[in-house]
Amino acid sequence: MSSDIERELEEALHRVLDPISARPIPARRAGHSRSAFRTVTGGAGAALTLKLLTGVAAAAAAVTVAGAVTTGSVNPVVWGQTITSTVESCKDNIAQSGGHGIGQCVSDVANTHGANVASEARHHGNPTSNGSTNGNGSGSGSSNGNSGATGHGKSTSHPTPPPRSGR
Amino acid sequence: MESRQSGAPPPAEGPERETYQPGSQADFERLYRNTYRRILGTLITLVRDVPAAEDCAQETYERAYRSWSSWRPDAPVEAWLHRIAINVAISDRRHQRIREAGEIVRRLGRPASGADPALVAEQSDVFRAIQKLPTKQAAALVLRHYHGYSNREIGAALGIPEQTVASRLATARKHLQAVLGRS
Repeated sequence: MSSDIERELEEALHRVLDPISARPIPARRAGHSRSAFRTVTGGAGAALTLKLLTGVAAAAAAVTVAGAVTTGSVNPVVWGQTITSTVESCKDNIAQSGGHGIGQCVSDVANTHGANVASEARHHGNPTSNGSTNGNGSGSGSSNGNSGATGHGKSTSHPTPPPRSGR
Repeated sequence: MESRQSGAPPPAEGPERETYQPGSQADFERLYRNTYRRILGTLITLVRDVPAAEDCAQETYERAYRSWSSWRPDAPVEAWLHRIAINVAISDRRHQRIREAGEIVRRLGRPASGADPALVAEQSDVFRAIQKLPTKQAAALVLRHYHGYSNREIGAALGIPEQTVASRLATARKHLQAVLGRS
């Protein structure tokens, strides 16, 4: 019984595979195109790619939300124009009063932005939105303001702090 | 049944009589020419259509080439290639199931596309039944009954003990007998 099925198996395999296996041998594929593709689309590569794309998307979304909240528009060109016009008018005021530099103007814009974002988040009352947006707004505002003021126009009134000893 | 069958033809191209130098580009090209048809024959049984088998064969040699410098000459080179090929086939079957699910969704309401006509014309009930076996059982069968490997050689190719090979072959034959209505 067993030998019958074995013989039948051998005959079937040879009948099907022999003609196909007798075809000409193709050239060996030398490149790694498929492997490289699978590195990105499969296994650990896919997980890494997904994380990378998620990170980029999250960062882009954060920038978009921050800009949109500040200027009321999702168009980045409008964000730039808003900041530029605000700083320009501030600079004119400082020039009229005998001062110079835009450090204080940038600082004011940043602080105002942070306060607006915090206020907006509190107004919505969304715990998730409140936490993340508030943190971004405050951090970005105070950091940019101090940095800009120190570097551009207020070096005497805001001296650069000494380097941290811990580093 | 533990050794190569006396009636079975010797390997067509006798790759085990060849010697190869690990890491040698020229030797790998020779290995490719000497073993391609046999590896393709195995893969056709495992992956259901000829184009997929050809693609898997190329993938097998790509993987083998990447490990070529670490291959040990004391190991049977064709068994090593078969082990890679069977892993490629298992992976391809997994991807095939995903593709089939997507295909079912894509062609809802349309007639199913047919299999490779060249292969279908030559297929028998026995061959189709072998293709429906689990990949590792089908691999053991084709190595035993097409390539004429002994159970020990199959064990080396699949990385399993001889007893496991015997068990897989017995299970596969029993299944085929039941499916094909042989007593």
